[in-house]
Amino acid sequence: MAGVKIKDVVKRYGSVQVMHGIDIDIEDGEFVVLVGPSGCGKSTLLRMLAGLEAISGGTISIGERVVNDVPPKERDIAMVFQSYALYPHKTVAQNMGFPLKMAKRPKAEIDEKVGRAAEILDLTKYLDRYPKALSGGQRQRVAMGRAIVRDPQVFLFDEPLSNLDAKLRVSMRVEIKELHQRLKTTIVYVTHDQIEAMTMADKIVVMRDGRVEQIGAPLDLYDNPQNVFVAGFIGSPSMNFVKGRIGTHDGKKAFVSHKGLVLPVPETAADEGREVVYGIRPEHIRVGSPESGVPMNVVVVEPTGSETQIFARSGEDMIDAIVKERISAKPGERIGFEIDPVDVRLFDDKTQQRLR
Amino acid sequence: MQSNRLGWILLAPTLVILFFFGVVPFFYVLWLSFHQWNPFAVDPNIIYNGADNFRALVFDQGFLSSLGVTIAFVFFAVLSEVILGYFLAQAFMKEFPGKAIFRTVHTLPLIMAPIIVGSIWKLMTTPSIGIIPTVLDDWFGYDLNIGTSALAAFTVTVIMDIWHWTPLVTLTLIAALASLPADPFEQAQIDGANKRQIFWHITLPMIAPALLATVFIRLMDALRTVDEVLMLTGGGPGSATRYLGVHIFKEVFPKTNYGYGSAVSIIVLYLTIVACWLLYAALIAPRNKKA
Repeated sequence: MAGVKIKDVVKRYGSVQVMHGIDIDIEDGEFVVLVGPSGCGKSTLLRMLAGLEAISGGTISIGERVVNDVPPKERDIAMVFQSYALYPHKTVAQNMGFPLKMAKRPKAEIDEKVGRAAEILDLTKYLDRYPKALSGGQRQRVAMGRAIVRDPQVFLFDEPLSNLDAKLRVSMRVEIKELHQRLKTTIVYVTHDQIEAMTMADKIVVMRDGRVEQIGAPLDLYDNPQNVFVAGFIGSPSMNFVKGRIGTHDGKKAFVSHKGLVLPVPETAADEGREVVYGIRPEHIRVGSPESGVPMNVVVVEPTGSETQIFARSGEDMIDAIVKERISAKPGERIGFEIDPVDVRLFDDKTQQRLR
Repeated sequence: MQSNRLGWILLAPTLVILFFFGVVPFFYVLWLSFHQWNPFAVDPNIIYNGADNFRALVFDQGFLSSLGVTIAFVFFAVLSEVILGYFLAQAFMKEFPGKAIFRTVHTLPLIMAPIIVGSIWKLMTTPSIGIIPTVLDDWFGYDLNIGTSALAAFTVTVIMDIWHWTPLVTLTLIAALASLPADPFEQAQIDGANKRQIFWHITLPMIAPALLATVFIRLMDALRTVDEVLMLTGGGPGSATRYLGVHIFKEVFPKTNYGYGSAVSIIVLYLTIVACWLLYAALIAPRNKKA
C-alpha cells in the first residue's frame, strides 16, 4: 500500500492544454473520489496515474517512487474500467488469475488467491463461466476480483458503476466501501455522480476544465464550498442561486435580486452594494406562511414519499425547497420560504468565489 | 402462410440458378466419377466401372505426387499469407504518411483475374527478359529459371499466391483488429502483460474467429488453384507445380479423361472438407464447448 502524490501535473494534446497544473495529495489507505462533469479531465488524470496516458509536465509518485516514465505494468496498480474490460475468451477464474499468471506465480497460489477473492465477492459458483454468461453486476465483481487478487499499492476505479442500473449501483456502492474498509488499500475513484462521491469518499476532488476546484471531505465540501461551481455540483438537488446585490430592507441588511426578490443574509455579510450570487440549499428552506417567510407562488410540487420538493416563484426568480413533511400546496398558492441566514452562502458575482 | 409463399417466390430465382449450376453439375460429376468415359478412347461410351477410378487413384503416381506438392504449396502459401497479412494489418492500424495510397495499392492484386496474375508473373520471371531473373542475376549472380528448376518454380508459385491473396487476409484482419475494444488491451498492460503476452493471451484469441474464417477461405481457394499456375508454369517443370487443380485440368481437357478427372475432383472436395473440419475440430469446437 502507498500514497499517491500528484504535483503540478500538466497535459497537452499538441498545442491544446487540457490539464492545468493539478496538485493532489493522496494519503496511504485513503479513498479519494475525483468528481466533475464530463470533459473535466478526471478520467484522463486517472489514466495518467495508471500510465495509460503520458503526462506533459509535473510529477506523479506512487509511494516514494516517481512513476512519470514507468510503464503501467510496473506501477503496481490495479484498475477497474467502466466497461469492466473482461477478457471475453477467458473464464471468470482465468480473468481473475490473469495478473498473477503474468507475474509467473505458481498455479497453486493463483488458485488460492482467486478462490479467496471469489469468496469475498460471492463469485465462487461462477468461476468456470465466461463473461458473456454473467449479469452486469457479476461482471463488475469479476473486474473487482481481478484487481483484488493482485494486492496492489493503489486501486484505480474509472466510473465502475455507471453501466449498472440504479438499484444495483447502490448495493455495489456499499460493497466497494466495505471492501475498502476491509482491505485498507488506497483507492482513487472517478465518477461524475456526486452522490457516489459523497457517500464513498474520505476525500473528494472536484474538477472542472482540467483544474482542481476544491479538495476536501464530503461534508466539508457540502458545508463550505469555495465557489459557485462546487456549491452547485455537490448536493442533490443542487443549491439555488440568485444573482443580485447586497442592500437594505426594513432597516436590515438584505439581499436584493436583480429582479427584486428580497432574501435574508447574515449581518456579517459583504458590504452593501456588492454584486453577489446568493446560494441556499433546497433542504435548508422551511415552508411556512407568506407572513413568516419570503412570500412565493407555488409552481410545481413533486412529492416522492420521503420528501416533497416545491418549486416556487417570486417575480421572475425561481427557488426550490425540499422538505420532509407532506405539503398539500397547490400551484399558484402563496406560501412563505423561511430561510435561516446561517445557511446562506454568498459568492462574488465576478470571481464566483465564496465571500466570508 | 401468405408471407411464407412470398418468401419462396422471392427465393425461387436463386434456388433455380443454384439447382442448375450447383446441384446438377455436382451430382453429374459424382455420377461420372463412378464411370469410365473418354470420348476419344477405343470405346467412347460412358461405362459404369464402380470404384475403379478411386482405386486407380491410390496407385497413381501422378495423382500422389500432385497431392504432395499441393499440400506443400497450400501449407507454405496460406501460412505465409496469414503471418504476413497479420503484420500488414497491424501496420495499417497505425497512422503513417501515405497510408491511404499504400493501402489502396496493396489491395490491387485482389481485384485482378488469376489468369492476369499468372501472365504478369510469367512476364516477370521469363529468363533473360523478365525483371526478376535479371535483377537476381545482376545483384546476386543467381540464375532463376522456373522452366528448369523445380524448386524455383514451386517457390515462385507460392510467392505469386502470397502476392495475390495476402491483401485478402490483411483486409479481414484490419476489420477484426479495428473492431476490438481498447479496454481489454489497456487492462492487460495494467495486469502486467508484455507485448508478446498480450499478443498470445489477448489479441490472438480475440481475433481467432476472423482469423480462422480467413484461413478456411484461403485453404479452400489454395487447394483448387488452377489458372495462375497453369499460366505461369503449366504445372512444370516435370510435375513440380502440377497442383491438384492443374492435374484435374490436364486429365480432363487435353486427355478427355472425364471419369477419372471427376473422381479426382471428388477427392479434392473431400480433402477440402476434411481439412476444414480438422481445423474446426481442433480450434473452434473446444472453445464452443467450454462456453
